[in-house]
Amino acid sequence: MNATLPLFRRAFFDTWRSTLGWAAGLAAAAFLYLPLYPSIGGSAQMQDMIDALPAEMTKALNYDQIATGPGYAQATLFGLLGFLLMTIASVAWGAAAVGGDEESGQLELTLAHGVRRVQVVLERAMALLLRVVLLSGLVFVLVLVLNEPSQLGIEPANLFGATVLFAGLALLSGTAALCVGAVTGRKTYGLAAGAAVAVLGYVFNAVGRQSPDVEWLLNLSPYHWAYGNSPVVNGADWAAAGWLWGLSAALVALAAVALEQRDVGA
Amino acid sequence: MATAVSARSLVKRFGRREVLHGVDFEVEAGTVFGVIGPNGAGKTTTMRCLLDIIRPTAGEVRVLGTDPRTGGPELRRRIGYLPGELFLEGRVTGRKLLAHYQAISGPVPPGRINELADRLGLDLDRHTRKLSKGNKQKLGLVQAFMHQPELLVLDEPTGGLDPLVQQEFHAMVREAKHRGQTIFLSSHVLSEVQQTADTVAILRDGRIITVESVEGLREGAVRRVRLTTHGIAAHDAVALLSGVPGVGQVQVLEADGAVTLSAVLEGAIQPLIRMLGSLELTDLVLDEPDLEEAVLKMYAVPREDAR
Repeated sequence: MNATLPLFRRAFFDTWRSTLGWAAGLAAAAFLYLPLYPSIGGSAQMQDMIDALPAEMTKALNYDQIATGPGYAQATLFGLLGFLLMTIASVAWGAAAVGGDEESGQLELTLAHGVRRVQVVLERAMALLLRVVLLSGLVFVLVLVLNEPSQLGIEPANLFGATVLFAGLALLSGTAALCVGAVTGRKTYGLAAGAAVAVLGYVFNAVGRQSPDVEWLLNLSPYHWAYGNSPVVNGADWAAAGWLWGLSAALVALAAVALEQRDVGA
Repeated sequence: MATAVSARSLVKRFGRREVLHGVDFEVEAGTVFGVIGPNGAGKTTTMRCLLDIIRPTAGEVRVLGTDPRTGGPELRRRIGYLPGELFLEGRVTGRKLLAHYQAISGPVPPGRINELADRLGLDLDRHTRKLSKGNKQKLGLVQAFMHQPELLVLDEPTGGLDPLVQQEFHAMVREAKHRGQTIFLSSHVLSEVQQTADTVAILRDGRIITVESVEGLREGAVRRVRLTTHGIAAHDAVALLSGVPGVGQVQVLEADGAVTLSAVLEGAIQPLIRMLGSLELTDLVLDEPDLEEAVLKMYAVPREDAR
């Protein structure tokens, strides 16, 4: 091998257009939402309006804290649009990494070369990780930059913790997509698995918050693990971060073992 | 001579569907071995077993002295592989894609990629997904040949190539053989392999039905004959021609004035030539032996253990 980590470099650099596109989308989301805080979230009128909405709805949308700067950033950027964009990017990359590559017929040729299957999974998972970390880092920097001008009043330490959870949450969906893609060899199944983790997590959180009877749903929601205590407001629950990142690592390991065992392209 | 590739009782099952029912063959190092068979005969499955892309259900496979299951990256660096269906996507130039494959192959001599691309007439600076099928195939050939591997495994290598490039490919195979490399290639038609292969194996329904040298196939094959003569009645000409050993299926194509006949010849051509000397020929066509037909006959032979 005349270069280190050839598969990682290919997976990372060949998708720079897509990485740049998602970065632009996340930047647009930050620049659209955050500067509006002084006129929307912080105003007394807005609070009256939110109070007038059904309580179930504000809980489902996490809008119950929207009157404070950190709560506003939590509910809008980290909890909604940013979450959505990051999840889609991560799931798309995860599903393409092994399952998509196999389905398009290209994995066969890669595996016919001097590489190990475990190496293929690990290097591509590393490329996924780096892209998610880069995008999360961008969100961290943008919020930090907009913090003062938009009068958000977010503690940088809390913002950092929230970003770690934000990245972990996206990574969990992305590695679920990668894992199911590697187990089945189908991109669609990977996409479905990644989307299921994200959507069910979001729905379980929204429903679980409605009444004590369904509170148990919250335990099944990665979204709730990450955002249950509003990390932008209160600081990260580091145990939750450990779960998100740890489960992601376990899913990658499972993907490597599964690919090692089976026939490819059959 | 050393054996480069061998398979013994190779069985592959996908779920309940058995694709290979005990395939046996041996490829001598430094020779060209062609596997032909109809679509779905198991050619691609056999090749994938050699590269550990799929794993045999039973039987033994040895590639360059190693079991591909345990050979790992070290073994695969000594092999060049061209898949039967080559998919190259992504917005990346041929040059960059080859640089990637170079990073995960055996060492590539400097200038080798450009030399191969020039020979095949391939533009390395175009994006791969914009390439035609033939040009993608050329890219696939370059990545298989570039590191001068000890073994080349080529699945339908000439698919999509125009005749001139096919000639160049045949030249590349001959050169590789002279360098001592072993070539294992497949096709669904014989004409693709007969020009380069030393030995041909015929695979049908997951079984090798025959392994034969190309010379051997040629001897058993039939040739088409067409001749035009005058100064003789059609039925006399037919009688003369039919009397030659090995000649059959005599037909009269034209009988007014000049007589044109067609026939097929199996076996030696000397008796036919001797008879032709007694005719006043104005035209004679003696085709190359039609190995294709010989092979098609073998395809049609019913399986001895048909259930």
